[in-house]
Amino acid sequence: MESIITLDVCGLPPPEPFVRIMAALETLPAGSALQVRIHREPFPLYDVLRENGFAWQTATPADGNFQILIHHAA
Amino acid sequence: MNIASLSTEQSPPISFPFSFFALAPLFLPLAAVMLALGEGNPFAETHSPALLAATHCITLGFMAAVMFGAVQQILPVLVGSKMPAARLVARFTLPALFAGTLALCGGFMRGQPLWFNLAWILLGPALLTFTGASLISLARAPANNATRSAILLAVIALAIAGSIGGLLAHGFATGAALPYPEWLVAHAGFSLGGWVMLLIAGVSYQVVPMFQLTPNYPKWLTAALAPALFVLLLAGFLPLLFGTAARPLTLAAESLYWLLAVIFAGVTLNLQSRRRRRVPDATLSFFRLGMVSLICAALFAFAATLCPAAHTAFRTLSALAFLLGFAMSVVNGMLYKIIPFLVWFHLFRGGMKSGIPNMKQIIPEPWMWWHYRLQWATLLAATGAPFLDRAAWLVAAGLSLQGFLLGAGVFKSIAVYRKHVRQINRAQA
Repeated sequence: MESIITLDVCGLPPPEPFVRIMAALETLPAGSALQVRIHREPFPLYDVLRENGFAWQTATPADGNFQILIHHAA
Repeated sequence: MNIASLSTEQSPPISFPFSFFALAPLFLPLAAVMLALGEGNPFAETHSPALLAATHCITLGFMAAVMFGAVQQILPVLVGSKMPAARLVARFTLPALFAGTLALCGGFMRGQPLWFNLAWILLGPALLTFTGASLISLARAPANNATRSAILLAVIALAIAGSIGGLLAHGFATGAALPYPEWLVAHAGFSLGGWVMLLIAGVSYQVVPMFQLTPNYPKWLTAALAPALFVLLLAGFLPLLFGTAARPLTLAAESLYWLLAVIFAGVTLNLQSRRRRRVPDATLSFFRLGMVSLICAALFAFAATLCPAAHTAFRTLSALAFLLGFAMSVVNGMLYKIIPFLVWFHLFRGGMKSGIPNMKQIIPEPWMWWHYRLQWATLLAATGAPFLDRAAWLVAAGLSLQGFLLGAGVFKSIAVYRKHVRQINRAQA
């Protein structure tokens, strides 16, 4: 079962959320996933994830923030 | 992490928006030149040729150019969809927009058919290309949020405003018998009240909470505002269909429009007063000045209705508060946020991991504050411009200086970007 590392970047001004997510992905172990909580849907991030071999699922919980689960693509 | 190898397909090259941003400020001193070339005080008469030429320098040469460049970059960020054929769209619209604006100014100042014909021949395809590409991008967008709806309505409003503008320019050139006053009202409504207002509202829904760290806009406002404003603008066509009989209805629609605009400004100011990070920020101050100006524009419009004796003066003040106060302040504020962010983002995606300049270092903060003070001075002068010749000259001087200051900020950003790109290239060599 994969371990999940959580990262909350809600309320941070640009470009902080992007920088912190990229830094966390740099050290993400194989088999682990990064769960990001963010206040807006980060469309530019998806391009970067796709190009770098990551897969992700985005969910919108009731509080209006986005939860993005990122892991290495199979 | 292979950032450097990222395709630039998803995010248009930085040179596209920066070409627009670098050239657009030149139209502010050009607007001042138009005012200076006019006879007497151009602000004393709402449709004086010099005032119309200067207005179009600001709305088309400056504002539309900045918005065209910005929309191309913000669509992928805000709604997740890039503009198709971005390179072609930028390369065609930029020269056609600028040349068409110059031709239109020539038409107003010289009154010759050649210039008006040239204007609609150049501006028509430029607007058609931009609106077409934007609509395709919006149709493909995965996000179905209030920002997408508002930008969609803004682009439709631009298409309507541009079509009427083309019709008017063609009419001026050929002397065709048209109901000019009614078409002029619809043209101004859809360009300023439609394209400018709806685009600013749609972008604000995301940019204000994102950059100014405020709570989100309330859902009732984001869901209803843009469609309601657009429907109210459609009432501008009623005089063309029913003549003066439509007057009570158009008056009611206009009053309701201004009321909604005041609500938008009030909500934005309220959100900004509840921001989480309470540090002085020039871009935030520009935004707040813009919202206060929008409220003033509405008050002047109400005063024009309630006080027929001073109708023309209040109308001019309302237009000045909307265009110079609201639209220009917000556009300046957004530019000072968007430009440093684009420089940072493109350097990061270009492969630079360390040593990327802080966003606050890309355009010196004191320059922004000087520009902000200059904007205040220009607006104060604008309140006296319809009545005092000296105030009109001060507005012209203020516009010129603003253009030079903003242009210097853009060129400083380009220099910072180029310096760091050279560093990346040296590191990779």
